[in-house]
Amino acid sequence: MTDEGVNGEAIFSRNSANWTEPDGLVLSPPDVDLSRVWTGVAAEVWRRRPGPAEWLAARLLRSPGLARALVTTPSLLLGWLIATLIVLAAGAAATLGTGTPYVALFAPAVAGAGIAYAYGPGIDPAWELSQSTAVSDRMVLLVRALAVFGLNAAAGLAAAAASGVSGSAAAVTFGWLVPMTAVCALALAAATVSRSANVGVAAGMSGWAITVLAGQVSAGRLTAAFANSLLLPYLAFAACCGAVAWYATRIPRGAS
Amino acid sequence: MNIELTDLTRRFGRTYAVAGVSMEAGPGVFGLLGPNGAGKTSLLRMMATVLPPTSGRLRLLGRDPGSPGPRREIRRRLGYLPQSLGYYPGFTVAEFVEYFALLKDMPPGRVPRAVAAAVEQVGLGDKAKAKLRTLSGGMLRRAGIAQAIVNDPDLLLLDEPTAGLDPEQRVAFRAILRGLGERATVVVSTHLVEDVGAACSQVALMDAGKVVFDGTPGELIARGEGSGAAGDAPLERGYSAVLAAARSVPATRSAAGTPPGPETWA
Amino acid sequence: MDDDLLIAAIAAGDDTALRALFARHAPWLAARLRSALPAPDVEDVLQETFLAVWRGAGGYRPQGAAGGWLWGVARRQAALFLRRRGPAELVLPAVIAADRRHTADPAEAALSRAAIDDAVGVLGPEGSPDREVWRLMYVEDRPVAEVAELMGVPEGTVKSRAHRARRLLRAALGGGPVAGGTR
Repeated sequence: MTDEGVNGEAIFSRNSANWTEPDGLVLSPPDVDLSRVWTGVAAEVWRRRPGPAEWLAARLLRSPGLARALVTTPSLLLGWLIATLIVLAAGAAATLGTGTPYVALFAPAVAGAGIAYAYGPGIDPAWELSQSTAVSDRMVLLVRALAVFGLNAAAGLAAAAASGVSGSAAAVTFGWLVPMTAVCALALAAATVSRSANVGVAAGMSGWAITVLAGQVSAGRLTAAFANSLLLPYLAFAACCGAVAWYATRIPRGAS
Repeated sequence: MNIELTDLTRRFGRTYAVAGVSMEAGPGVFGLLGPNGAGKTSLLRMMATVLPPTSGRLRLLGRDPGSPGPRREIRRRLGYLPQSLGYYPGFTVAEFVEYFALLKDMPPGRVPRAVAAAVEQVGLGDKAKAKLRTLSGGMLRRAGIAQAIVNDPDLLLLDEPTAGLDPEQRVAFRAILRGLGERATVVVSTHLVEDVGAACSQVALMDAGKVVFDGTPGELIARGEGSGAAGDAPLERGYSAVLAAARSVPATRSAAGTPPGPETWA
Repeated sequence: MDDDLLIAAIAAGDDTALRALFARHAPWLAARLRSALPAPDVEDVLQETFLAVWRGAGGYRPQGAAGGWLWGVARRQAALFLRRRGPAELVLPAVIAADRRHTADPAEAALSRAAIDDAVGVLGPEGSPDREVWRLMYVEDRPVAEVAELMGVPEGTVKSRAHRARRLLRAALGGGPVAGGTR
């Protein structure tokens, strides 16, 4: 584009029409570091911009690394969350239909599975490496487990409320939180000791199934597992499992 | 001194994987050679603060990794590439390197540039936004090297870093090592003897949990001369000679469960 | 790959195409910029240039003149860079002069700069219409529409003032070394 009225001269043209493509190799000036320039370009082009959840987590946890580890939790990924909600919604629907508090029965098992799949050698391929990072793998485990537990509890509460169980059964409606804690702790302990997420899931689910069935057998109803008298035993059990998980994550084992 | 080991041991059950190792290392590139089962990986894992020692003294970057605070500070200045590094299939190369940059407490403002520099340095600039599941084994290894160097570590520990790399890539990799070794302490554990000769200023040879040779590559070559030991290259002959000499001497310290055996490296 | 194809790929979000374009064009762009700017500034401007290419590749119309387009982007980024830094009247004309002749000799570039600096005075005192048009259009590299809005005059007025400014400057530079630009 040359400016009008100029006889082919383009000294002040904005898009230089008189530029000619250099043929042959043009070497860049020796004092200009092109690889440094490219690194700057690539840094902008390749960078990842954290989503709002991660940004918030980074501020709350005061660690961008921990926040990133949290949002990449396998059992907090969208697919898993949707599956959890579906299971609990189905439970709510079933409760509305039959009156049996399915949500209360499902929620601990689902949460236990979620906890087992939050972190650990069975699920994290770069497990060895993550044991050498400044953000300790134990912190990651703790934060992820709490987040999974919290989300499952919230989803469970919502489903329980939606299942319309009346006030007298409120103890059952919300009394599954403590058993859920125990099941999650069991799943966590099993997963960290066996270094396998699948073992954790299996332990959590079978432990819970056994408890519920034992209640059915001894007291004749499925909801016996939610008895108030069991609150303290559940919490004590959860504390023991927590201690086991803590210990298991302290000493890395393995062959030389 | 970035690494100071004094009589370090590591026991699993009744076996000593590391049976009393003492060494000191400042800046430079150090090779760790030895047959499988010699204890190289355990030693490296102890230096990576992944495995606590059973006994002995370990000081890294002037700090004691036994306490959480100093351990965290060491880990910020540490780069580690384990022998088998899993990867997150859905991550891209850049995301993978960035993930570990963040886990190493790098300030977020510095991360994008550091990631770009590391990815370019290992020659994966064309694959920065490619998903890890689409990469070959050699490329994955290079991605692993990139995450190890992203925080410009003072202590870089690499366990079999050149597995799966073709010769041209290995040459490029050695150039990276030499550059890094100017300021940092780089420890490369490998069973590829030639790798060591080209890049390392100092070599330690381990067998059955102990260091049986500690010197320069030239000195290792000298040990092999005229000994009639097996090997196609001077370094390999030195390697064989040292191992043979070490194994013909009865074990003085209890390295239970590891009697001298035939040379078994692949 | 052909430059036009590379730029189209960049517009589609292909970062490897940007890398290839950089490898091909950054050296000569750096050389061009170096004749007018010190090395650290060249690095900054070049970085901004390729980021602008990354963001603005969609606006490129394939005509086989990728080099000219890239140089245009680089010039614009140089102008923005200098604008951020402060008064740019001394250095930018030398960038423009680099359009015409690749001045590798810093002494000659300085002469060009000095000559243009003197010549600009012929447009009138600072703030006068012709001087303002010169500053906004050629030093700060703004489009005609923007200049018209800033000065509060119609675009036609801007264009005729620019034409007059060029004529005056050409006459003023007639005897100097940059006269080589006039054919």
